[in-house]
Amino acid sequence: MKWVSQDIEMYLKSKEYVDTIVLPLLPVSLGNDVKQSVAMSEFISLLSIQLERQFRGRLIMLPGFSYLKGNSEDKLVSDLKEWEKELYAKDFTHVFYLTSDSFWKAVENKLDGGLIWLPSLPLEHMDENYRTSILEDQVKQLLSLFLQKWQSAE
Amino acid sequence: MSKNKVSRRQFLSYTLTGVGGFMAAGMLMPMVRFAVDPVLQPKASSDFIPTQQKVADITDVPTRVDFKFEQQDAWYTSEETGTAWVYKDDKGEIVALSPVCKHLGCVVDWNSDKANQNHFYCPCHGGLYTKDGTNVPGTPPFAPLDVYPYIEKDGYLHLGKAEPKKGA
Repeated sequence: MKWVSQDIEMYLKSKEYVDTIVLPLLPVSLGNDVKQSVAMSEFISLLSIQLERQFRGRLIMLPGFSYLKGNSEDKLVSDLKEWEKELYAKDFTHVFYLTSDSFWKAVENKLDGGLIWLPSLPLEHMDENYRTSILEDQVKQLLSLFLQKWQSAE
Repeated sequence: MSKNKVSRRQFLSYTLTGVGGFMAAGMLMPMVRFAVDPVLQPKASSDFIPTQQKVADITDVPTRVDFKFEQQDAWYTSEETGTAWVYKDDKGEIVALSPVCKHLGCVVDWNSDKANQNHFYCPCHGGLYTKDGTNVPGTPPFAPLDVYPYIEKDGYLHLGKAEPKKGA
């Protein structure tokens, strides 16, 4: 379900079926690596749309968590930990983070939620058809990952 | 010189009527065209969307068919991708099912669950549908999969807007 009124209405009606929440992590930087951080955020936003379409009945796709790339490691981790605490407190059994920023891969073991890290692809150079099929392929691979997590919890 | 000469007065009145007529027509034509324009508009391509699927290639195994269509949200038109599961049933009739689970809207897959061969399976909450799209009792979905109306045009499959299955 997307973060829009209509979908959240549906969520409130069928809460018992929704146990997963996904938070895209979007880096923002206006320094030298501005292009890179834009590419990462763009890729993850597009991917999250496809992912939401596939699993809309069981997960909520949150609006992205955007953070300044220049912040210190401690601050970023503790900020995200706060999100994590809130999400788990609200009865979501599965919390996933979706990102292209390799920073999070390095601190993965400090997080309780599952981190899905995918290197960003230069989608801006592709034409529409190719882009969609690539994203769908990526989602297909994520599908098994989600299923595994869900099954292991049952 | 012919006998019935055209007088200067006649000549002038003929030319004036002629030129005046053209001017009036020039003014009226756009107005008339403007008024009848909605009638002349082509019907929004008859609401059937072409796919890349050749009708002759459809087998009795459900195959995924993707198609592109333009969705209009107020002023904003975006290109959306739609998907259908297409196969021929026992009578050789084409069936095109929507992949959207009737439970909470996940995307179902054909034959993806090993425990339930030859069923449409929804990975979110284990919803099951038989090949004709009927929901299996005891699983979360409460209605059969939507069905696309279809037409065949130049050998290719054209799909309409998905509707709830009839007789459900």
